[in-house]
Amino acid sequence: MATQAHSLSYGGCNFFRQRLVLSTLSGRPVKIRKIRAKDENPGLRDFEASFVRLLDKITNGSRIEINQTGTTLYYQPGLLYGGSVEHDCSTHRSIGYYLESLLCLAPFMKHPLRVVLRGITNDQIDPSVDVLKATALPLLKQFGIDGESFELKIVRRGMPPGGGGEVFFSCPVRKLLKPIQLTDPGKIKRIRGMAYSVRVSPQIANRIVESCRNILNKFIPDIYIYTDHMKGVNSGKSPGFGLSLVAETTNGTFLSAELASNPQGQGAAVLPEDLGRNCAKLLLEEIYRGGCVDSTNQSLVLLLMTLGQQDVSKVLLGPLSPYTIEFLRHLKSFFQIMFKIETKPCGEELKGGEKVLMTCVGVGFSNLSKTIK
Amino acid sequence: LREATPKVNPGKSRSNLNLEKTLVMKAALTTTDSGHCTAEEAFGSDAESEGETSLDSLEESSETEQGSKKRLRKRPQLKEEDAHQFESKEIKDESLEVEDLLKEEEEYNEEVDFSTETVGALKWKEDLSRKAAEAFLRQKQATPNLRKLVYGTVAEDDDD
Repeated sequence: MATQAHSLSYGGCNFFRQRLVLSTLSGRPVKIRKIRAKDENPGLRDFEASFVRLLDKITNGSRIEINQTGTTLYYQPGLLYGGSVEHDCSTHRSIGYYLESLLCLAPFMKHPLRVVLRGITNDQIDPSVDVLKATALPLLKQFGIDGESFELKIVRRGMPPGGGGEVFFSCPVRKLLKPIQLTDPGKIKRIRGMAYSVRVSPQIANRIVESCRNILNKFIPDIYIYTDHMKGVNSGKSPGFGLSLVAETTNGTFLSAELASNPQGQGAAVLPEDLGRNCAKLLLEEIYRGGCVDSTNQSLVLLLMTLGQQDVSKVLLGPLSPYTIEFLRHLKSFFQIMFKIETKPCGEELKGGEKVLMTCVGVGFSNLSKTIK
Repeated sequence: LREATPKVNPGKSRSNLNLEKTLVMKAALTTTDSGHCTAEEAFGSDAESEGETSLDSLEESSETEQGSKKRLRKRPQLKEEDAHQFESKEIKDESLEVEDLLKEEEEYNEEVDFSTETVGALKWKEDLSRKAAEAFLRQKQATPNLRKLVYGTVAEDDDD
């Protein structure tokens, strides 16, 4: 980029994606030192290296320097180029790990991004593709990112440790983002879910649905949980099953929860009934936390608010997650944006836990890469 | 409950029976005395259900009954007379008696209140504004300044 701002320096391996994504968007180079310097196996992990390679694929002219042991990384971002990209993700983390960052970057590409990601679609650590599809996409639509080409499709499912899943994601580009005013989450209108099973008995998905409905039916009648049993080549390389639930409110807020079975050969076998019940409870917990954006997408909404037009954006969130708090600090150092943070006690209306009202004025970020037609 | 107690304590069945007799008699008396002495009946059955067979409890119950009868003594007498003729007089008498009763009760209540209730009530009403102010400050301190927690001390200066 033309303006060579001085690089930001960080230590440690935490918040690796955050730093690289914000660096790419702000154009400020970043230097990360001491990446697992005292670890027995020092340096970047496979999945982090894979993430850096993905960034290299979607940008043009990035400069990446990694030292011999991989404990220091210097990243000077190029322009976000986009276009058609294929990427084999590491099987240490799920596709959600990569997709979360792509969701942040995709609206600001020069050419609309069409990416095929291969790897693990559902695991126990990262938000699954199902959840991102159900929660992050409607959120992006609130900012005016919409259109026919805006889609996220699970072509194949892959469970850990083998993987073998495939996801297609395409996103249109926008010059400007609309400011948002999400302050009233409304009431829960319906609950949708997806119980999936691969390389196990298709009956397992039905068992999950039944135990889950046992809990949720007490609260709301409008529940539908799809069962998804993928076969043959679409079922990936490892057996597994899981459930993702999404509660939709009257004002178009999506709150999600999910659980997946233990990977093959790791940990005790999980009963489908337990999984369904626990996942239903997790959804209730998420609803208790509440807010207009669920906890997996807190940082995404804050980023898009920051990058919006020079106008006031407001969003009501549930309790801030530690990841979001660190993200706020990073937003401050990369974009000099500080949010107004007001706590809203739940009061006597019994609307769950304490809420936080986040307010900011966008930096007026416009997509310089986009060609004007 | 009356039928149940002897079965539970067969050793004390005799004394229980005695108690029962007296109580039944008492109940009968009270019902003949005046139609609405339900409180006493309830008391009697309570005492029995507790299974207190000692003479002390019996005495206690009878004493209290006597005490309560004192207050209601006049009413049955009036009822024995022709109620229609002396209606106005009866009302006057009764109202007077009621006033007396109320006075007695008031005095009695006041004594009780001084020891327990009134003091508490007065305390509750003390310094309401000060308490409200304290509660507000406590609330304010309890809810953390998130902005300060997230951004550090710099945020505080900006805030002002």
